[in-house]
Amino acid sequence: MANQPLPLSQETLAQFNRSMATEPGVSGPPRRRLGSISTRRSSKDQSKDQPHHRPLFLRGMTVISSESSFLSPNVSHSHISMGKRFSFAGWHQGGRVSFSGLYLQQPIQEVYVENTYRMGPEPGCHFSPSRTQQILQATLDSYLDGVCYSPDSCSQLCQMLADLVLSKLKDVNPPRYKLVCQVVVGQSGKQGIRVASRSLMNPNTDNYTSAVFQNHSLFAVALVHDQ
Amino acid sequence: MDDDQSAEETAFVVDEVSSIVKESLEAVIGRNTYEHKRVNQWTSGVVEQCLGQLSKLGKPFKYIVTCIIMQKNGAGLQSASSCFWDNTTDGSCTVRWENKHLYCIVSVFGLAI
Repeated sequence: MANQPLPLSQETLAQFNRSMATEPGVSGPPRRRLGSISTRRSSKDQSKDQPHHRPLFLRGMTVISSESSFLSPNVSHSHISMGKRFSFAGWHQGGRVSFSGLYLQQPIQEVYVENTYRMGPEPGCHFSPSRTQQILQATLDSYLDGVCYSPDSCSQLCQMLADLVLSKLKDVNPPRYKLVCQVVVGQSGKQGIRVASRSLMNPNTDNYTSAVFQNHSLFAVALVHDQ
Repeated sequence: MDDDQSAEETAFVVDEVSSIVKESLEAVIGRNTYEHKRVNQWTSGVVEQCLGQLSKLGKPFKYIVTCIIMQKNGAGLQSASSCFWDNTTDGSCTVRWENKHLYCIVSVFGLAI
């Protein structure tokens, strides 16, 4: 590992050996040693060897830097970073805390909450057919009063009415309820017409409303199912 | 593969539903002329038969079936619907049927449970 002139390497090796002596049982490259240092030993090192080591290192560093040898950077780095490691090792006054490895933060524990399965609407939160019927009738009356049937415009009018009714009912709709709204607009001729609907639903929670409007030229039927 | 099968079984299949509706219309109304007295019966019959067949499919759906029967007299008719539901699981199907004397529009809405 060291192909340096003898006087320099000897000095650095001597320093190295001194530091090695304070940490028995450790061998191998300096980097690996970084991972297995205990704070207890470090406190001792700091208290005892700090006055000695630091000046020595500095001296060593100044000497080494002038020569720029292969081994010295490793040594100096290892000692300096060891000092750094100790400074934030979480050592308590008078306590013996030892750990190996890098200081990692405790992972944030995720809080697991059990599922709450809701099988039906909350009491008092049901669909209200009477209120819906009032809204439906009011909408039809306001929008169709005085309107004449024409094949071109009435298809758009029909769609617009359906969307309008839906948007008005969404505000008064209880949460998690689905809405189906159907609007039929027809010309008032001399024909007969029948509109019927039936649904397969839960009678406790689901319901429907309907409203009818008629004037001289057209009629409209609005159906709303809430489930 | 299991996922695909289960997805098909719990999806609203429009073709299946429209064929059920057409069969009911043919069976209940057929070639009859518009009769004011019998229209009530026809609409109930069409709707009930549709619902019965749909429930036999055994899918986890709530169904709404609407039926409009109108006499052919030269008048115009428009029908529109808007729905506030889950687009991924719910669906609808509208069938326009007619014979020589009357028009019939049947809409089926399927809402997943």
